[in-house]
Amino acid sequence: MRKIILVLSILISGLVAQAQLAGYTPVTDLAKFKEQFAVIAKKTETIKSDFVQEKNLSMLSEKIVSNGKFWFKKDNLLRMEYTRPYQYLMILNKDNMYIKDGNKENKVSTKSNKLFQQINKITIDCVQGTVFNNPDFITKVYENKSTYLVELSPAGKALKEFFKSINVIIDKSDYEVTTIEMNENSGDNTIIRFTNREINTIILDAIFAIK
Amino acid sequence: MRYLLLSSCLFILASCSSVYKNLQPATGDINYIQKFKPNFNSALYKAEIDVTGHHLSGLLLIKTLPDSSIRMVFSNEMGFKFFDFEFKQNGDFNALYVVKQMDKKPVIKTLKKDFELILLPPKYTQKAYLLKDNYSLYYIFPKQKGSFCYITDLNGSEIKTMEISSPHKPIVEAIMKNYTNGVPDTIGITHTNFNFTIGLKKIER
Repeated sequence: MRKIILVLSILISGLVAQAQLAGYTPVTDLAKFKEQFAVIAKKTETIKSDFVQEKNLSMLSEKIVSNGKFWFKKDNLLRMEYTRPYQYLMILNKDNMYIKDGNKENKVSTKSNKLFQQINKITIDCVQGTVFNNPDFITKVYENKSTYLVELSPAGKALKEFFKSINVIIDKSDYEVTTIEMNENSGDNTIIRFTNREINTIILDAIFAIK
Repeated sequence: MRYLLLSSCLFILASCSSVYKNLQPATGDINYIQKFKPNFNSALYKAEIDVTGHHLSGLLLIKTLPDSSIRMVFSNEMGFKFFDFEFKQNGDFNALYVVKQMDKKPVIKTLKKDFELILLPPKYTQKAYLLKDNYSLYYIFPKQKGSFCYITDLNGSEIKTMEISSPHKPIVEAIMKNYTNGVPDTIGITHTNFNFTIGLKKIER
């Protein structure tokens, strides 16, 4: 019996060690982090940035890399424009979404699709600093020397279908989101890295217009 | 010998009974069609799927693994995966992942058949036979219901079109064009019995 308990203890401690993200420890002062994050996010009116998206297909040892430009403006205005190796434009304007794919255009009301609504809310919540209030996820915060890592685990069945977890990496120096990692149950993931960030520059509303 | 002739005649009659009934029997090497088998070592396509008024776009990765199985992974431009199919060399098929909204038997079955058509050659090659008309050669691969048909010019230098046929008429038509190093640049699949098309355009990475 003692042996069984010992083996179980070793197994459980191994699982706990695995569950904690490599190189990260749980944040010591969570309240301070949340407060600082919220303060900076509140001051962030606009973000303009480049991004590199990496889709990793683990079993196939394949990586699909795409690049583009990202614009965000408070409240709920988002534009992601993929420029290489394909053209794809997504605009989120409040409750409406516009997609331009080659010559095809599509307008969707996110109100009519709960899953769309939940997925789009993730990016908005991350950059607006409201991610901790999102009831669709259970959040945990970790840190290393230079970054915070906010781990979002889906609470509902629909999002669990898509994600095992979403990790949001935040730079400690300016509390800005540098990376979003979307981890699937299969071991595949999609990583979006933001570079050349410009905070609070003037971005006209027209850039988010859905015609 | 008489039984063999009789059974061959019956087979040819049954095969030619409807959809390809106006064609003439032809002689030649049925395996010649292998020449057009795409070499999907690792190819990424921009994919557009239109189904009864709904438009779905994304990226389709087609990759041959070391065990010669072929994987097809379709995700949208932002990384959300729709399906991951495995086509084994022995003809077995596995839907390794299908997003809940698409996880319906008829949908998977239709996509499986469509992709099997472009992967060439289909199963049951031992029953395959050749037909012709004045312009084309028809490589016919009978299936349980209907057949797969690959149509080339008479010289066999160009694959004109590929078809999945019911016993009565073609129900899927497909093209593969502009091969570079064995990989087609453009692939198109059209269903004739309902509004369903798949368009693939190769992306240079």
